[in-house]
Amino acid sequence: MRLIIRDDPASVGTYIGDYIAKRINDFKPTPERPFVLGLPTGSSPIPTYKHLIGLHKAGKISFENVVTFNMDEYVGLPQDHSESYHTFMFREFFSHIDIPPKNVHILNGNAVDLIGECKAYEQAIKDAGGIELFLGGIGEDGHIAFNEPGSSLTSRTRIKTLAYDTIQANARFFGNDISKVPRMALTVGVQTVMDSREVVVVVTGLRKALALSKAIEEGVNHLWTLSALQLHPWALIVADEDATNELHVKTVKYFKSIERVQEEVERNHEEVRRNSEGRQGNTW
Amino acid sequence: MTSTFVKDVGGDDGEGSAGNGLLCFTNCLLAMENGSLVEKDLWIDTSKGIIVDSQKTFFQLRERPSRIIDLGGAILSPGFLDIQINGAYGFDFSIYTGNDEEYVSGLTRIANRIVETGVTSLVPTIITQEQSLYPKLLSLLRPRKTKGGANLLGWHAEGPFLQLAKRGAHEPTLIRSAPKEIESFAETYGPELSATPPVVNGKEDVYVKIITAAPEIPGILSSIPALTRPLLSSSSSTSSASSTSSSEKKEYGVTFSIGHSIASSDIAAEAVKSGARLITHLFNAMPQLHHRDPSIIGLLGVSPAFNSSPSALTKIKTSTSGSMTPRGTGLKEGKKSGIEVVKKKLSIASGTPGVVSEAISELPTPPGSPLLNPRTTAPSRAASISNIDLVEGPVFGDAKSGSWGGEEEGWRPYYGLIVDGIHSHPNSVRLAYMAHKDGCVLITDAMAFMDPHLPDGVYPWRDGKNLVRRGYKLFIEGSDTLAGSAVSMDSCIQNFARFTGCGLGEAIKCATYNPARCLRIENKKGTLRPGADADLTVIDPVGGDVLSVWVDGREVWSRE
Repeated sequence: MRLIIRDDPASVGTYIGDYIAKRINDFKPTPERPFVLGLPTGSSPIPTYKHLIGLHKAGKISFENVVTFNMDEYVGLPQDHSESYHTFMFREFFSHIDIPPKNVHILNGNAVDLIGECKAYEQAIKDAGGIELFLGGIGEDGHIAFNEPGSSLTSRTRIKTLAYDTIQANARFFGNDISKVPRMALTVGVQTVMDSREVVVVVTGLRKALALSKAIEEGVNHLWTLSALQLHPWALIVADEDATNELHVKTVKYFKSIERVQEEVERNHEEVRRNSEGRQGNTW
Repeated sequence: MTSTFVKDVGGDDGEGSAGNGLLCFTNCLLAMENGSLVEKDLWIDTSKGIIVDSQKTFFQLRERPSRIIDLGGAILSPGFLDIQINGAYGFDFSIYTGNDEEYVSGLTRIANRIVETGVTSLVPTIITQEQSLYPKLLSLLRPRKTKGGANLLGWHAEGPFLQLAKRGAHEPTLIRSAPKEIESFAETYGPELSATPPVVNGKEDVYVKIITAAPEIPGILSSIPALTRPLLSSSSSTSSASSTSSSEKKEYGVTFSIGHSIASSDIAAEAVKSGARLITHLFNAMPQLHHRDPSIIGLLGVSPAFNSSPSALTKIKTSTSGSMTPRGTGLKEGKKSGIEVVKKKLSIASGTPGVVSEAISELPTPPGSPLLNPRTTAPSRAASISNIDLVEGPVFGDAKSGSWGGEEEGWRPYYGLIVDGIHSHPNSVRLAYMAHKDGCVLITDAMAFMDPHLPDGVYPWRDGKNLVRRGYKLFIEGSDTLAGSAVSMDSCIQNFARFTGCGLGEAIKCATYNPARCLRIENKKGTLRPGADADLTVIDPVGGDVLSVWVDGREVWSRE
């Protein structure tokens, strides 16, 4: 796992935005072979979306051949409700880029058959060839997607009851009236995230500091579901300074020191990949 | 800054017809219903000519616009509405020469050219006519869509039920009362009064009917509830066999506007309670604001005490009714002299009919007006209550009641303001706006001389007189007498923003959402909400100049 530390949320957004844009452009997606991207909602990824929109407007990236899967959606909230994740994604991202609507997947929290909806979602991910890069955020209790503390680390897309903390944290979006916050959500499972070929997680702000420490400095633990990332072969966490407050000084120093080394590794990896592709081409 | 560029995404060619007919305006400030300017995209369906819900289009129809227009940071506003305009570009709505074709071509000319001022919908206004002319004129003014021009929404009949003392340019011999109440209205205006809206694509379209009248004139006040009863949609009116009483009642769907009137505070309030929604060119052709009886202008300040407590009303009534005024002599004297002045002026006025702007050069109204004893003109209290009963809704004075005429208690009417800097002083404009922001409706009240391209100079007018045009000021040659307004709506908006210090967004609201709400057409006009007609005006956020104009999803004018 890699941890990248930047000064503030905006620079975190810039870093991840550039990173994702580079990954998509390097992938050279086509209609037959689209780049499959997993996406979160919430306040943490907004700077990333902003930066990606800027890159798109500057003509540096197109989402024409990008297929997206969102992590979660509330159950029973109308799709056009101001707090639905459909609304969020359209407002913060999709309306500003050139992604074809048919490439967008968000769980339908109003489906008659919620279990069927979840199963179909897993199948759709599989049919799209699996997720290339899953961008995620975390909750204060360390949840990734709506995989609240205690979720199975091998869980798949399913109906989930929200933890009291999450309901309380979200009340601010529902007129501070806790009774208006939906109690249930559909969410991809921890295993769904783990199955993607790469995971990038944005962690910003003091309130996420404890969760970050629990996720990377302690063992794999279903009470801090992000910790499952420790078992992922290609995971990246990008945090701001505030979010590192609960980490050991040693941890922070270590990750900062390896950032440059990591870039070098990446460059080498890219070169090797290109060479191997070249060789494949020759054998044809 | 104001340069725009068009991008066709996935279209076969550069034409707007390519792709899926959806169009996205981006990099723009949307003029919202609350007067704010919000940086947001707007999606329209150019084939249907309506604004669409972008999120639903994206997620449910799985479509996104094949065409994108970058507005370079400009304001994207609903097209402006002008609900009081007498003419423009050399054509006067009130002049009918006996040739329908000529009249219609005049209408079309205005509709086609007025879009350059940002106006996409207008309500042609006719001043008091020979009674025999009304059926003809009103039928010619039925709602009309012109190709490439603004929408003509219906008619605004200013007169003939006006107060002689405030008649302005209206021909005094044609001004009348309504002795048979609603029947007098039907008699005067003819069949168009009860005409139903045209049906377009199986749906009822807009048909605006505005009548400006003076509620203190006999027979007017009691006619308001019937006049203003909303037109039921054709489907529901045919199926309303259950309520026999409602099928007997005729529906007119008129927007009643108080104007050319000297109504007392009581009568003005009763008019509003009976269903009046609008005040015609505020400050003009009505008594000046008197603090003891603020009359029509006082409606902008409606006090809860005046509204909800019948005892407060009674108290004021006795004090205005004349003989027993315990509060010093000032009021009494004012009233007396006022009556004399009016008598004198009336005799003079009848000699020189209709030469000047009806709104500005009216008879001077002394402090202490309104001048008529409410007892002699207004129906009795009991009678007015029974009139209000006709309105489906709670009765005035019932403390528990929430509304009359569909509006909540304490509701204040909309008011038209001519913001040319002449017909209302900038201070007065600001005063009115500060008193009642949501009621403010900008109007041009423009005459045939409204034409931004008309150079300053001397032009022949009627009765051998010449008119001098200087900017949008019009006056009779050899005098200072103003001869109506020549202001355009875009100038009104810019003036209004300057006079009141409000932002362009709020000024735009007064020419879009407020008039639309007043006419109850805010589902289709004066708004950017999904489903509304794609009538749009693009405005420079710095100077407020109109940059381009769209009607029914098609660009009909652009500054080049």
